[in-house]
Amino acid sequence: MKFIQKIFDSKRKHFVESGRFEKFYPLFEAFETFFFIPANVTKNDAHVRDSLDLKRLMSLVIVSLIPPLLFGIYNSGYQSNLASELPVTFAAVFIKGLQIVLPVIIVSYGVGFAWEVLFASIRRHNISEGFLVTGLLFPLTLPPTIPLWQVALGISFGVIFGKEIFGGTGRNFLNPALTGRAFLFFAYPIKMTGDTVWTVVSNVNSSGVDTFSGATPLAVSAVQGTSAFIESLLAKAGFTLPKLFLGLYPGSIGGTSVLMCLMGACFLMFIGIASYRIIIGGVVGVLVAAIPGYIVSLVSENSTVAMLALHPLNHLVMGGFAFGITYMATDPVSAPGMNVSKWIYGFAIGALTVMIRVFNPAFPEGIMLAILFMNLFSPLLDHFEIHLRLKKRVPNV
Amino acid sequence: MITIRTRKGYDINIAGMPSHDLETLAKPARVALLPEKIPFVKPRLKVKVDDPVKVGSPVFEDKRNSQLIFLSPGGGRIVKIDYGPRRVIKEIVIELDQDEGYETFPVISKARLQGMERKKLVKTIMTGGLWPLFRELPFRDVPNPDIVPPSIIVSLNSREAFQPVPEAYLNDKINLFEFGLKILQKLSETLLISTSSDDVFVQDHLNSYVTHTCKGLYPADDPGVLLYYTKKSPDENKSWYINGQDVLLLAMLFKTGKYPVDRTVVLGGSLAGERKHLQTRMGVPLNHITKERAGDTGTARYIVGGIFKGYTGSKDSYMGFYETSLVLIPEGDEKEFLGFARPGFNKPSRSRAFLSFLNKSSTAIDCNCHGEVRACINCGFCAEVCPVDILPQFTYKNILADEIEEALNHGLLDCVECCLCTYVCPSKIELRNILKEAKKAYFLEQLQS
Repeated sequence: MKFIQKIFDSKRKHFVESGRFEKFYPLFEAFETFFFIPANVTKNDAHVRDSLDLKRLMSLVIVSLIPPLLFGIYNSGYQSNLASELPVTFAAVFIKGLQIVLPVIIVSYGVGFAWEVLFASIRRHNISEGFLVTGLLFPLTLPPTIPLWQVALGISFGVIFGKEIFGGTGRNFLNPALTGRAFLFFAYPIKMTGDTVWTVVSNVNSSGVDTFSGATPLAVSAVQGTSAFIESLLAKAGFTLPKLFLGLYPGSIGGTSVLMCLMGACFLMFIGIASYRIIIGGVVGVLVAAIPGYIVSLVSENSTVAMLALHPLNHLVMGGFAFGITYMATDPVSAPGMNVSKWIYGFAIGALTVMIRVFNPAFPEGIMLAILFMNLFSPLLDHFEIHLRLKKRVPNV
Repeated sequence: MITIRTRKGYDINIAGMPSHDLETLAKPARVALLPEKIPFVKPRLKVKVDDPVKVGSPVFEDKRNSQLIFLSPGGGRIVKIDYGPRRVIKEIVIELDQDEGYETFPVISKARLQGMERKKLVKTIMTGGLWPLFRELPFRDVPNPDIVPPSIIVSLNSREAFQPVPEAYLNDKINLFEFGLKILQKLSETLLISTSSDDVFVQDHLNSYVTHTCKGLYPADDPGVLLYYTKKSPDENKSWYINGQDVLLLAMLFKTGKYPVDRTVVLGGSLAGERKHLQTRMGVPLNHITKERAGDTGTARYIVGGIFKGYTGSKDSYMGFYETSLVLIPEGDEKEFLGFARPGFNKPSRSRAFLSFLNKSSTAIDCNCHGEVRACINCGFCAEVCPVDILPQFTYKNILADEIEEALNHGLLDCVECCLCTYVCPSKIELRNILKEAKKAYFLEQLQS
């Protein structure tokens, strides 16, 4: 401890005013406060303060991301080795997964952090810990075959246009990680749409073909046809409900396993960082939007939209809904701040997700667009709720 | 008796709570008046250094209203008048004589009080130097004596951990307190007397007087919170309040004809050598309170007036006119290695982000900020604790954007300045300070127009 402190103390002179790297003080500060909670004390108000700070809060979000991350690493490796006809022992799979996922995460953190440092240095702000979460959330939403230059492009767009041009953490109205993903989604649809996903194939014999594509459960469901077959169609493709819940199928790195996301969600709700109102509201929204179509399809066999017939529970476990509602929708900055608004916001995300999936053949996955769309509405929701709430107050002017 | 249930608030489980025992302290060598700590008052001195004073001699008056005078809490000689930046008067120190002289004031019996006109009563309290004990909500200024307030709130308790409890300051003074209430009744028709729902002593002895019991977490029994929960119309906003202990001073003035200087103060905090209630007088030096009972005070912060709202003192400073508590807790100006990654079994926190949520025993807390200032992430923790349902996370942004009208609509003036929003903020934003300064600026603007 002492010697780390000594390192910082000896290097400090370069970063403070009129030092060589004066401009990069935020970088120095970020590293120093990572190692040491600073000694600053309260000045006048509230002589005592809660021990919780943003660093702790954000690192707990990272902790909650560990289950989907580890599972994502395993799953990526597993799918790759399976497709490449390599052994699927745990160690082999995990190492393979690391080889696939780690570069994506490193690029995401590295490029994003460089932008953060640049903006913080120019603005003379401190580097906000919010980026630690963005930088990990973003890669988990990507398919394992994503080229690294696209990762760099995506996180750059997310950090700059999703956050920094509005003034940095706390002032963004869109979720930066999702903004980056949406950019890639529309700019490079072949790699990203969710129609098909790629599994990294590393079979030396089959040179030339390094990826293998398969339909996602969502794509299977979206096939036009008579509704009666949809369940069997899914089952035929191997996507049973338990399998979708566990998540051992090809998909984006972190988003396939509902179980892992559920663990993360419970943890975040328990420590009070993620709003249970948003998460429960989202689940209710999915069910409410999916049940009527399901009932109709039970009655009439000839539905024009096959996906309407999908069992509502399937909607909960398919695609990135679980990941999105747990980690993306609950971002407090871009979500509404008022309690009723949070219910509406969560509900609308869930309902919109189903609507986009079912009725819009261009977008097999709806959660990303639903969250970004509701991000835009959250200030409005807050505005109305505050307005109604203030009416109840006895004025004091 | 009406029970007021407050929905929000927070009780810190902090080590170093005082016992209810009362000890009487010896006479101090010096006492002081601290005009700087009395909000809004603009002092004009009526004494010079070396002037002799008696207990109750006028020391300074308010430039805004020369009737509003502040009297000497001791008899002796003015030894020091300490000025701060911009000639603000920080301290007026009086060295006490062995035998202190007393100014005399008219003795007013219960019978005489009954027949007294309000105007005359007000004048008696003002010349007796006790008018500043009344404060007017929402700005907490000393009220204009010509106005009849919609109500006067007497709060007997404070759920803040380190304020004197009625059991200590009211014990065998119940009669005096009842007399004090008679005085208040002459000043306003409505008297709201509030106590904590768990205060057995008050409920045993003053049950017939108590109008409201407050059930809830800190600051449930703050007069501002009581008003927020009871008011029906905007006319009640400018109610007055007075602390339970100060009612005794009013009664003493009338009964004895002397300027009362008795105070029951609390000494507490994890670094205080002994933690108890102390019977002493107004404006005593802090080292007189801590003398011989200070533990390791080398690194202690002396907080006068409570851990939330108080000011920082030192060994050489004095108790203020309103303050009744002295808390000694560690300064905490040390770095903590990888602090954010520790399990934190002993880290006090309202959240469940540390293992301390399993730890039900009280923890020592220091004055470290436990983090650095960051941007607001709209987590809403502040709104979850605000006792008067302000949305500090939105209101403070209104203030910073200069949308004062909007902030007022949000209930800015209902703010009871309890500091909980500042306490819980994970971004370490000085929310209360921003709200308080905005209130102050608005008030001063109103005074000018």
